[in-house]
Amino acid sequence: MSQDQPRKPMAERIWDFFASVKLSFFLLLLLAVLSIAGTLIPQKEGAAAYVRAYGEAGWRFISALGLNDLYHAPWFVLIMALLAANLVICSINRLSLTMRILGKDPVAEAGSMRKPKQSFTLPGEPASNLDKARQVLERLMGNSAQAKDGDRTVLFAQRGGWSRFGVYVVHTSVLVIMVGALVGNFWGYGGYVNIPVGSTVDHIILDNGQAKPLGFSLHLDKFNVAFYPNGMPSEYRSEVTFIDGGKPVQKSTLIVNDPAEYKGIDFYQSSYGNDLKAMEVELIRPDGAKQRLTLEAGKINELPGGAKAAIQGWRERVQMGAMYDGPVARILYQEAKGEPQAYTAFRPGVKMPQSGPMKFEIVKVQTEAYSGLQVKYDPGVWFIWVGCTLMVIGFFIAFYFSHRKVWLRLSPTGQGRTKLEIAGATNKNRQGLARLITRLSHELGGGPKKAE
Amino acid sequence: MEALSNQILVAVTFTFLAASVLYLCHWAFKSKVFGWAASGVTWAALGVLTLAIILRWVASHQMGIGHAPFSNLFESLVFFAWTIAAIYLIIELSTWMRTIGSFAVPLAFLSMLYALTLDPAIKPLLPALKSNWLIAHVITCFLGYAGFAVSAALGAMYLATGQAKDPASPRALVLDNLIYQTVVVGFILLTAGIVTGSIWANSAWGTYWSWDPKETWSLITWLVYASLLHSRFMRGWQGKRMAVFSLVGFGCVLFTYFGVNLLLSGLHSYATGK
Repeated sequence: MSQDQPRKPMAERIWDFFASVKLSFFLLLLLAVLSIAGTLIPQKEGAAAYVRAYGEAGWRFISALGLNDLYHAPWFVLIMALLAANLVICSINRLSLTMRILGKDPVAEAGSMRKPKQSFTLPGEPASNLDKARQVLERLMGNSAQAKDGDRTVLFAQRGGWSRFGVYVVHTSVLVIMVGALVGNFWGYGGYVNIPVGSTVDHIILDNGQAKPLGFSLHLDKFNVAFYPNGMPSEYRSEVTFIDGGKPVQKSTLIVNDPAEYKGIDFYQSSYGNDLKAMEVELIRPDGAKQRLTLEAGKINELPGGAKAAIQGWRERVQMGAMYDGPVARILYQEAKGEPQAYTAFRPGVKMPQSGPMKFEIVKVQTEAYSGLQVKYDPGVWFIWVGCTLMVIGFFIAFYFSHRKVWLRLSPTGQGRTKLEIAGATNKNRQGLARLITRLSHELGGGPKKAE
Repeated sequence: MEALSNQILVAVTFTFLAASVLYLCHWAFKSKVFGWAASGVTWAALGVLTLAIILRWVASHQMGIGHAPFSNLFESLVFFAWTIAAIYLIIELSTWMRTIGSFAVPLAFLSMLYALTLDPAIKPLLPALKSNWLIAHVITCFLGYAGFAVSAALGAMYLATGQAKDPASPRALVLDNLIYQTVVVGFILLTAGIVTGSIWANSAWGTYWSWDPKETWSLITWLVYASLLHSRFMRGWQGKRMAVFSLVGFGCVLFTYFGVNLLLSGLHSYATGK
């Protein structure tokens, strides 16, 4: 081999590799098998859960390969990209073939008749039967072309050539869906926001925990839960007002399955609950002295005498069998000149082990109801719906329409009669073609005789 | 009315059993009488089953929690049986090959039998399930599943009746074509089912695809049937290979439908019997 020869064949080899159906077949089944793995290994759990299930070594293996988020692992995305490349290249390859098939000169095609499927004779010379034959053919199949073959005449017509594009519609739709997913991944974001009733928010918390300003604000006017007679919730409903530039611009009602949209950002009713506003607690010192304190949530409360206290966390209701049923709070307390110390507070009169020299008892909990909204901005979602629609349309074209060709050959038999032969070809649905040929032969006055 | 509907469902289950036995007798004894009886009983079962589903729908409205009867595993199994019977009878009308019934109608019976082991009570819908897209999702999915079920029945028949020995015989060719046709119907409807499911998920949670195990398995099923269709179109696979492929594909359908609920956990938790 010379130095400059291998280059082109190499490119061609790569092209042919990507154009092959074997590769598509392999990639489709590979994606299927890998997807199975993703349903067997729990996805997006914390590291501890994997260590518990698979051991330390198992977790190292899983995290090295990205099996804990398999569908977003670089190699999984790479296989999808290969499938996309395969789709594009094999479609380009086939498209030139399709264009060649559709671009064939009808007169030339008339001259290359296939093997006849039916044959019979009609009274009269071919010339007297030609017009009727053409009429019948054109009524069923559209425009016809004509070719002479000695003293024989061949009529040719075809229909449904456009259906050969069905497969490209399907392949394009897959690519459009992939593009939609990419657009959503790069330019979209998702998050949530909890709005207390009667409050206004101007930012959301993204899935990665960061705050993101909306550029407008959202006021929760009303929140309501409706129940069925058996106590099951039947509807969650938030009534909100969008405020832009200081002015209320849009009122919307959010229920599950019916989100609201403002400036391309969608808000979904997703949860509800009670947020802590403030807590009234009793501080009991080791000598029995008591002190009433009101601690506000979400801040460090400066107390008389220089002490500080904050509520670290709380649960509205904790059930511990017969021992306890009520609210629990975790309070961080620091004397003016002491170290911070954490205390767990329960309702008064409960015997619980103490974690420090003092004791906190919960006297009153002040909460406010909030509505939890899922927030989504996904500029790619329209690609998805366009792709899905294209795919279904493409399936109907690809599966239920076919490119059919029919030839009629009229030859003189020598006794003032015409021998009429019918041939056909199709790219799929041979039974449909057989029915078409039978119908043609009936309308042309032939019997159901088969060609020899 | 709910009780009446449930009693009818029990009766229909055993009517499908009777029809299955009659189809098997027809196949074994090659007797026309059995064949006509089998078809008659299946048509009757389908008619009465339709009535029971409508009664259930009406009953749910009378209870003040009205919803289309396609909301949980019990209701989906009943609808699955209905679609299998309906698709099979359409094929019977167009081919008059009653032997297929020996393979297809028992699937309708088994689906009903499984339903009878579950709690049939009509329950109110969770807020997330109140969506017309859900109804479209369930109907398209189960029509698709039934298409695949019938294609698997045809595949089993193809193998069991030894068509592979003479794949060019008219009967083998008709069966092969029917396998292909039912797979295509199933494939288009499965696609529509996945799409309507995505639209529903997008309106409920703001994500059209979240890789939960049920979704992923529906995609796996889709990929398997997509490979089947490519192997047929591009490589000309036919006959025995199609028959085996249709059985493998239906295995994926069954896992998507039952296996995921039983063995894996995910968003579709409400589609279980509980």
